[in-house]
Amino acid sequence: MAERPRTYKTEGVVLRRRNIGEADSIFTVFSEDQGKFDAVAKGVRKARSHMRGHLEPLTRSRFLIAQGSSLDVFTQAETITAYRGVREDLDRGAEAIYCAELVDRLTVERQEHRDVYELLLDELDALDAGCPLHVTRLFEVRLLAMLGFELQVDGCATCGSRLAEEDQLLAPAAGGLVCPSCRAGAGAGRRISPRAIKVLRFARDASMERFAGLRVDAGLGRELHLALADVIRAVLEREVNAGRFVEQVARLPASHSVTSRDVQ
Amino acid sequence: MANTPGTPEPISRLIEAFHKLPGIGPKSAQRLSYHVLRMPEEQALALATAIMDVKRRIVLCSVCMNITEADPCAYCQDSRRDRTLVCVVEEPLDIVAVERTGFRGMYHVLHGVLNPIDGIGPEEIRVRELLERLKAGEIREIIMATNQSLEGEATAMYIQRLAGPAGVRVTRLARGLPSGADLEYTDDVTLARAFEGRQEI
Ligand SMILES: [Zn+2]
Ligand SMILES: [Zn+2]
Repeated sequence: MAERPRTYKTEGVVLRRRNIGEADSIFTVFSEDQGKFDAVAKGVRKARSHMRGHLEPLTRSRFLIAQGSSLDVFTQAETITAYRGVREDLDRGAEAIYCAELVDRLTVERQEHRDVYELLLDELDALDAGCPLHVTRLFEVRLLAMLGFELQVDGCATCGSRLAEEDQLLAPAAGGLVCPSCRAGAGAGRRISPRAIKVLRFARDASMERFAGLRVDAGLGRELHLALADVIRAVLEREVNAGRFVEQVARLPASHSVTSRDVQ
Repeated sequence: MANTPGTPEPISRLIEAFHKLPGIGPKSAQRLSYHVLRMPEEQALALATAIMDVKRRIVLCSVCMNITEADPCAYCQDSRRDRTLVCVVEEPLDIVAVERTGFRGMYHVLHGVLNPIDGIGPEEIRVRELLERLKAGEIREIIMATNQSLEGEATAMYIQRLAGPAGVRVTRLARGLPSGADLEYTDDVTLARAFEGRQEI
């Protein structure tokens, strides 16, 4: 790896925060040109910190960073997009937090992945603009493909044979759909409908905008969500924490707005 | 790190124990341990007793989840306070700050905020206990005084969605610029919210 300059500029999306000590926090950022990295912001939890709001998770910001001996240090941060529509809506916020966790868990430090960065911005833009929540399915399908886990949804993932237009088995260990004759060796799987298979193919090929325009009813949405959750669980060999939160939020009664209150 | 060869076992154990505290690295843990070793015995005993007392004598108030020696806590026992109003805070220390504003309603301490990536969901904080209190029917309004962070906001919205059907009014503290803030450095969300909450002067 090339020697990094003593201070450098980059832009990225803040994925998560961990508080350390009295007033410092470590932020994990997914950046445009260096992929994922951690850096510390000193004193950022004090009310008057200049960087505080610019480093909130799910914010896209520009950073000036100084190389530290163990951990790099944020010296400046300036918001590019605050995604207020995401952070002020619980359903959208939960989806975005889930996507941030996926990027964090699936990528390695300091490995440039501009495609992943663009995809993350597309997802946040779509959620911020009020697109239907199924846009996260395109995010999952594309993210997996970009990181070397492309889902085989055309022919059989094992023998390549054509698949009839009927319910099929999606077997994460085999890397996608498997035909009836290959099922014995394909490991665990989930039955998936022809409708859902078509959406998975569309998610692989379509633009975010066109995918957002797709009509996905609750049943189909649930089927796709569970199918991709299986695949992601198999790739990560663990649950995605925020996935549980997305489900908890989905079970809540519908929203009405919180009244703001002035304290006299 | 603690098991440096030649370090007597009791010292290693103390270093280990300090190292588990938040914000204490291996170096600090070592420094603190050797400091304790040099302390007069009565000072060391006072420290040990203080730690034991915190564990043995402090409990959570069964009503508001605040830390207290007597259950219910002083706030929950005070009959002059407005029982229809509950201020929801993240940590017990936040109560001290809210008290300074002159607020004289009741409290509820969540002991944390939702942090989905770290696996902190509603079951990991005291949300259920708040809902139980709402069921009793006395509470008319809950004031969400969680921090203005992504996590604090998500927690406020989550509780608002849960409490809405119970017919309870859910409000949150007005959000604006901290005093002494410099507009040039203020992030867009904080500034936009401060604009929305502007007041006649
Ligand atoms: Zn096959
Ligand atoms: Zn109490």
